[in-house]
Amino acid sequence: MTARGTALLVALLATLAGYLWVVERRPAPGFPAEPAPLLAVPTAAVARVELVEGERRLTAVRGERGWTDAAGRPWSQDPVSDLLAALGALRPLATVDPDPATPGDYGLGPGGPRLELAAADGRPLLALELGERNPAWTGLYARRAGEPAVLLVGGVLAWELEKVRQAAPGGNP
Amino acid sequence: MRLYLRLCAAILAAGALTAAADEQPWTLDASNWEKGKDLLPEPVVKLLQKGEYWFKVVSADPGKFHHNYSQAFWDATEKNAGKYDLDEKTCGLKDKATDKIPDFVFGLPFPQVDKADPKGGCKIAWNFTMAGAMGGGGGATFTLNGVDTGGQFRRIKAFIHTRGYQGRHFGPLKDNPEGLAGEGIGGALEPVDVEGVSTLTKRYWNWEGQDAVWAYVPSTRRARRVNSASRSDPVAGLDIFADDLNCYGGKVEYYQWKLVGEQTILAPLLQPYPFPSKSVSPTRQLIDTPYMPAGYEVPNAKGAPWWIQQNLVFVPRPVWVVEGQSSDPYYNFGKVIMYFDKEMYRIYWKQVHNRAGEYFYTAMCGYHFVKNDETFSAVFPNLVVGVNDKTNRAALGGRFQSSFLEQSWDPSYFSLRTLTHMTD
Repeated sequence: MTARGTALLVALLATLAGYLWVVERRPAPGFPAEPAPLLAVPTAAVARVELVEGERRLTAVRGERGWTDAAGRPWSQDPVSDLLAALGALRPLATVDPDPATPGDYGLGPGGPRLELAAADGRPLLALELGERNPAWTGLYARRAGEPAVLLVGGVLAWELEKVRQAAPGGNP
Repeated sequence: MRLYLRLCAAILAAGALTAAADEQPWTLDASNWEKGKDLLPEPVVKLLQKGEYWFKVVSADPGKFHHNYSQAFWDATEKNAGKYDLDEKTCGLKDKATDKIPDFVFGLPFPQVDKADPKGGCKIAWNFTMAGAMGGGGGATFTLNGVDTGGQFRRIKAFIHTRGYQGRHFGPLKDNPEGLAGEGIGGALEPVDVEGVSTLTKRYWNWEGQDAVWAYVPSTRRARRVNSASRSDPVAGLDIFADDLNCYGGKVEYYQWKLVGEQTILAPLLQPYPFPSKSVSPTRQLIDTPYMPAGYEVPNAKGAPWWIQQNLVFVPRPVWVVEGQSSDPYYNFGKVIMYFDKEMYRIYWKQVHNRAGEYFYTAMCGYHFVKNDETFSAVFPNLVVGVNDKTNRAALGGRFQSSFLEQSWDPSYFSLRTLTHMTD
C-alpha cells in the first residue's frame, strides 16, 4: 500500500472515531437516584420523639438511662429505638400524589396523626403527617410537614408505631 | 393466709379451664368481626371484616392440649432447665457444661422464657425448632395450588421426605458422619413440565454453617448447588416460599430474633387433639387426615377462593409475638413477624415485609398432632395458606390426606445419587 493509501485509511479511521465520539457516545444509563430515607441523620442524633394522635401525645425523651416519657417514666424495652431504626432505613416507596386537591382522601390533613423527631438542641429532624393504610395494606400514606406531596411508606412503619403505642409507659397520656 | 390465697387461685384457675373447655364452638365472621380483631394479625382482620374469611372457633382444654405432646417430651423438657444457653454472636444453641453446641437435644431446650429476656426471641426459636423435630422424620405427598380471585391457576403435586438427627424421641441416630441436624429431599411429581425437578437439603448441626442445597432439573441432568437464601424465593412462581414450611424453615442462626409481645391468637388446626397412627412396618407409621377443601373447590363457596371451607378449626392460643430478620443480602424478606404458641412452640401466622419495609405477605400455618401413647408424639405442618396482599393472589400448600413417620431411612437415601436418579 502506498503512503497516500495509508494516509487515507488513517483519515477514514479518525473520521469514524470522531463520529462515534461526537454522535454515538451517550452517557451510560444510570440507576435512578434512590430517595433519601425518611430520617436522614443518624438515629443517635434524635433526642425527642413525639407521636400526636388527636388528644393523645406520646413523648419519648432520650436520657442517660434510656428513653423516658415527659414525666420521666421509662419506656419498656426498645420500641422507640426500633421506630428510629425503621425511619432511618425506610425510603418512600412512591410519591402517590405530588399535590393532592383533597389530602383527606389519604387520611391526611389538619388534626391528623403526626410524628415529630427533634435533636437535643430542639432542631426538628423529621416531621411526618401520617395517613391511612393503602388499599392493599402494603404501606401507609404520609407526607413531610410543609410539603404537599403524598408519599407511600412501607407498612413496617405502621407496625413500629403500634409497638410504640403498646409500650407507652402508663398509657403516656 | 397464703394457703387460702393459693386455694382461691386454684379454684379460679380450675373454673377458667372448665369454662374454656365447655365453651361451644362459634363462628367468627364479618357480622361479629370485632370479637376477632385482637385474635388475628391485622391484614387478616381486614379480610375477615370484608367477609372473605371466617373462622370456626373451637376451645381446647388447656391440660389436654398440653398432652398433645408425649409425657416423654415434657419430662425431657423439664430436665433441660438450666442446661442450655445461646452463643452471643450467632444465637446458636450452647451446652452450658461445655460451652459448645450440644451433642443431642430432646425436648424444649428452654422450658421457661422470660418476656424481659433480650435473648427471649432466640430461645423461642430454639424451642420451636426442637418441638418440630420430635417426630424424627417422615414424609407426605402434597399439592401446591396457586389461586387468584378467578380460582386455581396452577397446581403442582410434590413430595417431601425428611430425616432428623436432633430432637427425636428415641435418642440420637447411631451414624451421623456429616454432622447434620437434618436432611430432606423433595420433588415435583405433576404436571409433566416440572416432573422430576427436585431438591436435596442438608442442614448442618453447627452455629455458622449454611444449609447445603442442591437442585436437580431432569432436562439438564445436572444437580446444581443453590444458595440457601433461595428459601425466600417463590416456589414454582407461586405465592409460597420454602421458608413457609412450619412458617419458618431456616436455621435459627439465620435470623436475628426479637421478642416484642404476647397475645392470644387463633391457631389453625385440623383438630385440637392428636390423630392416631398405624404401624405399617417396624419403623414406619401412617397417619390419615381429612382433606381441607378450599373455596375454589367447593360449589357456591363463600369468601376468598383460597379460604379453607372444611376440616379446619381455630383454637385460641397464647402466643409470643416475635420479629425475625435475616442479614443475608440475598434473602428477599425484610422484617417477619411471627406468632409462636407459648407452650407448643408452633408458629401459626406470620406477616412478611420485603427489604424495603413494604408489607406484602401473610402465611397461615396449620398443624396436626400425632400420638399413640406417652412415649412418642409428633407434630406435622399440614397447611400453608400464603396470601400475597400486593398481588391479591394466594397459594395453598400441604393438605395431604396421608403422611408417615419413618424412624429408619436407608442410610444412603438422602444423597445426590437419589436426587439425580429419581426420574430414571
